[in-house]
Amino acid sequence: MNKKTTTAIIAVTFLFSMAFVLPPVFIVDEEVPVTEVLQQLGDEAPAHQVNTDIPGVSAERGYNIVHTGFAQKPKGGKTKIQSKHFVCTSCHNVQRENPDLSQYDPQARLLYAKENGLPFLQGTTLYGAVNRTTFYNGDYEQKYGDLVKPARNNLREAIQLCAIECSQGRRLKDWELESVLAYLWTIQLKMGDLSLSAADYEAINSAINKDAEKAQAIKKIKAAYLSGSPATFVKPPEDRKLGYPQIVGDPTNGQLIYELSCLHCHEKGRYAFFKLDDSKYSFNYLEKHLARYTRYSLYQVARYGTSPMNLKRTYMPNYTLEKMSHQQLEDLRAYIEQEAKK
Amino acid sequence: MKKYLLLSSLFFLFTASVSLPAQDLVFQTFKDTRVINSHSVETLPKRKLDIRIGHRFGDLAGDRGGTQTFFGLENASDVLIGGEYGFTDRLTAGIYRAKGAGSLASGTPGLRQLLNLIGKYRILHQKEDGSMPISLTVLGVATMSTAKRIETNPDIINNFPEFSHRLAYAGQLLIAHKFSDGFSLQIIPSYVHRNLVAFEDDNGIFSMGFASRIQISKVFGLIVDGTFPFSEMRTAANGFHPAIGVGLEFETGGHVFQINFTNATAIMETDYIPYTTSDWLEGEFRLGFTVSRTFNL
Repeated sequence: MNKKTTTAIIAVTFLFSMAFVLPPVFIVDEEVPVTEVLQQLGDEAPAHQVNTDIPGVSAERGYNIVHTGFAQKPKGGKTKIQSKHFVCTSCHNVQRENPDLSQYDPQARLLYAKENGLPFLQGTTLYGAVNRTTFYNGDYEQKYGDLVKPARNNLREAIQLCAIECSQGRRLKDWELESVLAYLWTIQLKMGDLSLSAADYEAINSAINKDAEKAQAIKKIKAAYLSGSPATFVKPPEDRKLGYPQIVGDPTNGQLIYELSCLHCHEKGRYAFFKLDDSKYSFNYLEKHLARYTRYSLYQVARYGTSPMNLKRTYMPNYTLEKMSHQQLEDLRAYIEQEAKK
Repeated sequence: MKKYLLLSSLFFLFTASVSLPAQDLVFQTFKDTRVINSHSVETLPKRKLDIRIGHRFGDLAGDRGGTQTFFGLENASDVLIGGEYGFTDRLTAGIYRAKGAGSLASGTPGLRQLLNLIGKYRILHQKEDGSMPISLTVLGVATMSTAKRIETNPDIINNFPEFSHRLAYAGQLLIAHKFSDGFSLQIIPSYVHRNLVAFEDDNGIFSMGFASRIQISKVFGLIVDGTFPFSEMRTAANGFHPAIGVGLEFETGGHVFQINFTNATAIMETDYIPYTTSDWLEGEFRLGFTVSRTFNL
């Protein structure tokens, strides 16, 4: 064996053994889940990891519960429907719905919904729900009282509150709840969802191996998305005939809201008993009731919603200020008035 | 040959029904599953339960109406109560109890104390792009009289020599087109078969009906329907008249309330089609109402 061959064998052996000794290189790119990066940086793992010890837990079953209200039971057969009135997707998208996840801008959200073929809904998207740490924030306490307390910092409790109160359905069984969580983990945020620059990626990749920079990197990542959805309940305008003061409505924007929001639930009675369409009858009716103090007033239902009643549990959730601005509500009004006048 | 033609037609209708995509379908040709006396092409959405109460008062005018019966309000000619369920968006089935009110011109009553099963299947659905111009629903009604058998009088229907004599059936094709948001029209070819009929009456009766809805506002609609039996016996000279109704319908979320005027005394197809002997022109029409409430199940 000559000297060159010996050197080559030693080098290959060294490199091979190093592969077992050195930790694998973790490279952060756009496809890596945010939670994984945070954990690499030493952040605490979220409490809502899926409990896979429960028999029957699967993301597929979770998907079915979220989208249809049903799933196949672990021992066969179909579950009882979770809610007779709604499915999760009645009020929540399951796709990203904001161009910038670090802030809430209802108009940017509306335009993003239009561009991506999404409805414009009262609920926050379930996409990235597992990345959030607070739920039923802000004024939701006004609506649900003490029921929000266990749900505020606990995703499992938040899901159950949504199942029982928001969807007027039944409590999820353990395997169903964990399956929903498993599904939600499949739609967690990825690094590419965050508005980070190439320099940010460089800094994060660098921080993975340097303890001193980790805290800063975690902070940077967490600043790029909201840890919870703010919720501000607001009142209808004081004078419903005049609307919100100093605001001129834009009917073009209003049309978007009518189509992506109102018709999502009311068209062909999809979720609501009260049906709406693009006919003059619908616009005339809405215009006539605008200034009234009834559940048929646009201002009334947008800001206060309606309540479930005996034998009629389907109701309309209100729009918080973060989900529909005063300007947008006036835009919607302008569109309704424009169509009613045609 | 006729059998093959019928079978191939049914096969075509069935395949057409299962191959239709769900989008772009014309919605609410009629607001309710009933017009006045007639069914409409509408079926219940899947997992909806419709509880329904129908009432027909006595003659508003004529010999049996006027002030002495407070314009018929003191009499109930027929009362219906029951419900139906949407098993799929196309298939609705239900059960109803009706008093039964039809009679021959001689005054001989038809079947009474009726238990009615209905089944409706939507075969075709009008599409917004015009590629399917009509909606087509097939309706089947089976009626059984639970009235006590009167054995002593063989001349009346309630003699019921056999159990099958308690039964009557109706089959209808409901063919409708929504012309605009404000106007819909429907035609209704029907066949009614009664197992036991009076002497010289026809067991089987074909008829043609029509129904229409004119939308007045989002909530109010004007509705009208009529049914014309094809039977040599069923002429005005023999004391029979087409069942014609006009009404006003109110629709709020989940509720449909209807008030109507019709000369038909009975509510079910197996009853009012063969047994309408009241004449509008003689003031023999009545006030009626229907209340419907839909629930999610």
